[in-house]
Amino acid sequence: MSYAYLFKYIIIGDTGVGKSCLLLQFTDKRFQPVHDLTIGVEFGARMITIDGKQIKLQIWDTAGQESFRSITRSYYRGAAGALLVYDITRRDTFNHLTTWLEDARQHSNSNMVIMLIGNKSDLEARREVKKEEGEAFAREHGLIFMETSAKTAANVEEAFINTAKEIYQKIQDGVFDINNEANGIKIGPQHSPTNQGLNVGGSGGNQGGNCC
Amino acid sequence: MDYFRNILGAPQGEMQATSGADTVERLCERVSSSTLLDDRRDAVRALKALSKKFRLEVGTQAMDILINVLEQDRNDAEIISYALDTFYHVMSNEPSDDDDSTPMNSSLGCEFTEIFIKRSENVTLLLTFLEEYDFHVRWPTVKLLTVLLSNKQKELQEIILVVPMGVSRLMDLLSDSREIIRNDALLNQLTKGHGNIQKIVAFENAFERIIDIIKEEGATDGGIVVEDCLLLLQNLLRNNTSNQNFFKEGSYIQKLKPFFIIDDEYAASRQGGWSAQKVTNMHLMLQLVRTLVSPNNPQNQTVACQKVMNHCGLLQDLCSILMATGVPADVLTETINTVSEVIRGSQPNQEYFASVLAPSNPPRPAIVVLLMSMVNEKQPFVLRCAVLYCFQSFLYKNEVSQSQIIQTLLPTAADANSITAGQLLCGGLFNVDPLSNWFSAVALLHAIVENPTQKEQLLRVQLATSLGNPPVSLLQQCCNMLSQGGKVQTKIALLMILCGWLADCPIAVSHFLSNTANVPYLISQVSSSEADDHEVIVQGLCAFLLGICMLYNNDTTEAFTKSALKQVIQNRIGLESFTDKLIQVAQNENYTRAAKKPHLYHKHPNEIVFDYEFTRLFKMLENEVLKAVSGTGSVNGRLPGGPGIEHYKTLLKEQEDQVLALRRNLEEMQAFSSSSEKTVAELTVQVQQLKDQNALLKAQKATQGTPPPAGPNSSSGEEVEALRRELDAMRLQLKDKDAQLVSMSSIKNNADATESPSSQHNGSSPELDHHVSDNVRLQELERS
Repeated sequence: MSYAYLFKYIIIGDTGVGKSCLLLQFTDKRFQPVHDLTIGVEFGARMITIDGKQIKLQIWDTAGQESFRSITRSYYRGAAGALLVYDITRRDTFNHLTTWLEDARQHSNSNMVIMLIGNKSDLEARREVKKEEGEAFAREHGLIFMETSAKTAANVEEAFINTAKEIYQKIQDGVFDINNEANGIKIGPQHSPTNQGLNVGGSGGNQGGNCC
Repeated sequence: MDYFRNILGAPQGEMQATSGADTVERLCERVSSSTLLDDRRDAVRALKALSKKFRLEVGTQAMDILINVLEQDRNDAEIISYALDTFYHVMSNEPSDDDDSTPMNSSLGCEFTEIFIKRSENVTLLLTFLEEYDFHVRWPTVKLLTVLLSNKQKELQEIILVVPMGVSRLMDLLSDSREIIRNDALLNQLTKGHGNIQKIVAFENAFERIIDIIKEEGATDGGIVVEDCLLLLQNLLRNNTSNQNFFKEGSYIQKLKPFFIIDDEYAASRQGGWSAQKVTNMHLMLQLVRTLVSPNNPQNQTVACQKVMNHCGLLQDLCSILMATGVPADVLTETINTVSEVIRGSQPNQEYFASVLAPSNPPRPAIVVLLMSMVNEKQPFVLRCAVLYCFQSFLYKNEVSQSQIIQTLLPTAADANSITAGQLLCGGLFNVDPLSNWFSAVALLHAIVENPTQKEQLLRVQLATSLGNPPVSLLQQCCNMLSQGGKVQTKIALLMILCGWLADCPIAVSHFLSNTANVPYLISQVSSSEADDHEVIVQGLCAFLLGICMLYNNDTTEAFTKSALKQVIQNRIGLESFTDKLIQVAQNENYTRAAKKPHLYHKHPNEIVFDYEFTRLFKMLENEVLKAVSGTGSVNGRLPGGPGIEHYKTLLKEQEDQVLALRRNLEEMQAFSSSSEKTVAELTVQVQQLKDQNALLKAQKATQGTPPPAGPNSSSGEEVEALRRELDAMRLQLKDKDAQLVSMSSIKNNADATESPSSQHNGSSPELDHHVSDNVRLQELERS
């Protein structure tokens, strides 16, 4: 189970847009039609291959509901990639993207790769948001864009893998500091050149709290 | 500073309290009014000194002032550290060394904590102090946060969760090299019982960091730090599926493996065996493994972890601890429990376990060695429980291992020289130690549970009794033992194995019934009235066994056919009494306790009454037994009547047809209703037109009447007369139409409800034609 790199992802977006379903389709290759509200955050993982290298994806699927926002914010900082999901059959989920993006930009590290996803592309008949609108939004904000269907699995693999490719590219370009795990990237055990310890230094003695 | 020195030096007494309060007041004033930092610092230091003795005074008077200090003077590490310490003393409920703790001590700390955290900004402020590297700030902050958390855990958890980066800041403490700060007590408090905080902590690489610390500190040979780390790990994983999944996916299970390799030299080097700390660490380490494969976790989660534990060799290491020498008994017990849960329900792991050999001479299977301790009175009680649990886990959901065990009881497999599991179990079943009887009976029960083949196989087992007597079957021997009386635990154990054996196995039932002494014995037990706590259970189980004999009776034993048994139960015991006895089993507190989880967590031999698997069987069949016994007419409670279902099926079909017909009807109605609505609208328009024309004509006539126009007057007079007549006729018709209209609209209203108004609909069209022709004629008139 060795890997060259480990990337941490988060999935964000309004409630009911299919975040958990995307994750389930990606990790388990199945679809669950019943909406089961995510409480806080759930974890999933899968191995992929890019450029002949094994890359482990660790994905945190967050709750979309407003009441969980303060919890989910704690996950932005440590993530290398984010899937920002809206529902193409619900205009309001698209309208909220700006808020989500602001939130993400504010709390994450600046290099986090964000993939915009218009989910439920199988429901063409009920579409409320045109594909072009999604593309335009992505272009405007410098995101990658894709329409997916967690139900039919269309583009689901691609969404996760393309995000990883983007991160991988950034690593090759030297944009990401791979030695700082706080960026959500870790080098695999056999690749790491040195084993950095936890030594921080400092000489704080043990004489606190006895003054009088 | 003199004034408070005097006070501190003063003898104890009433005076001191009052003057103490005065001093606190004066100090507070000085902190809030002094412009010089040095003065404020001195005053806060003085407050700190008083804060243990005069908690109440300092807490009530200085709280806001000190919070102010934290906000305003944060550049001066010293004053901050005094202020934080003062808070710590006020909030802490630990009795200080010098005073003889006042009774209201504990509630005081909580109350002050409540006041302090009411403003969540205060907590945010404290968290920012964690960023100060200075030991004099960081350490008292950690202490204070810890005490706040222990006083008001839930409230503070919620606050910290909401503070941006709150949890992350606390996590950063793990990388502090100063042990006293890295101390995980704070994180332990923080994460306890709060799934969302646990997940964030895990997200912040907690697993990796903690495991690294454990490694650095010497793993199980390490000290209290390792213990705290292990507690924290357990905290993060217990009942948190998401974190367990992350732990597994992050390959951390593999990283646990080295911790379980026991150094033989360690035991040799220490004459007195393991150190207390090592025992504790090992216990926690084992419990950590159990957390990941607990039977209470979602099954797929447990299965996945079990698989990893086998692959990475952790199971193998655990098994070698089982067979190692010098392992303390309680560690050994916990290891057995751990192995049990690692193999429970996982076929490859069970197979591996079956293949483990003990390093004895000759080598024996580990299972046999373990069973030997189970039926050995001299072994510690908890160890014997653990072995039974292990044996149960080995058999759980595994027909292969079940048959392996039963095989060792059958005559063909007998190898005279070696000890087998079967021999040990039979020996345990009939020896004088009631606990051995109980353990062995339950072990056997698990070898046949939900496995009809093995139930039948077990019927073949014959036991040699004293020389010269014919061998007796195992089943009959159990019955004999039962009727001979003996300890309650033995009786309950035998009844449980009999119930499990006979359930879903008609052949076993007929074997049981073929001995005519058995049913009367059960009857006499159930109908006897004297009952202490345990006797009630025996009676209930006898009732249950009788019920099973009825349920799974194939009527091959003439004396005790289904209906005969039912008769006997109803006449000899009485339905009410039977039901009562049966119900009392499930109401017994021992029953509820056993039904909770498969693990045997008994502390004392007296607590051993029911087996988990048996409670499941009881739950499943209790109602069926009751139904079968009380049911009038057919005793065939198990088979729902076939014709009944047919009946309902046809009924359903009929109703479906009806619904379809009604739906079609409704559609027709709706179509008709809309068409008649349209007609009404048209008619209304026409009537309006007619009225207008009428009015127009009247007006024309009036103008024609006053100034008699020149022209053919004679003929016009007649014409007017004729027109008037016609007009009257028209008016009459109009009235008629109005009436018709009214009736039309009422028809329309009724249209939805009426069954078949089609005739009325048809009737309206000639009327309409009539109307139209009238209209045409009127227009003609107008033109003329």
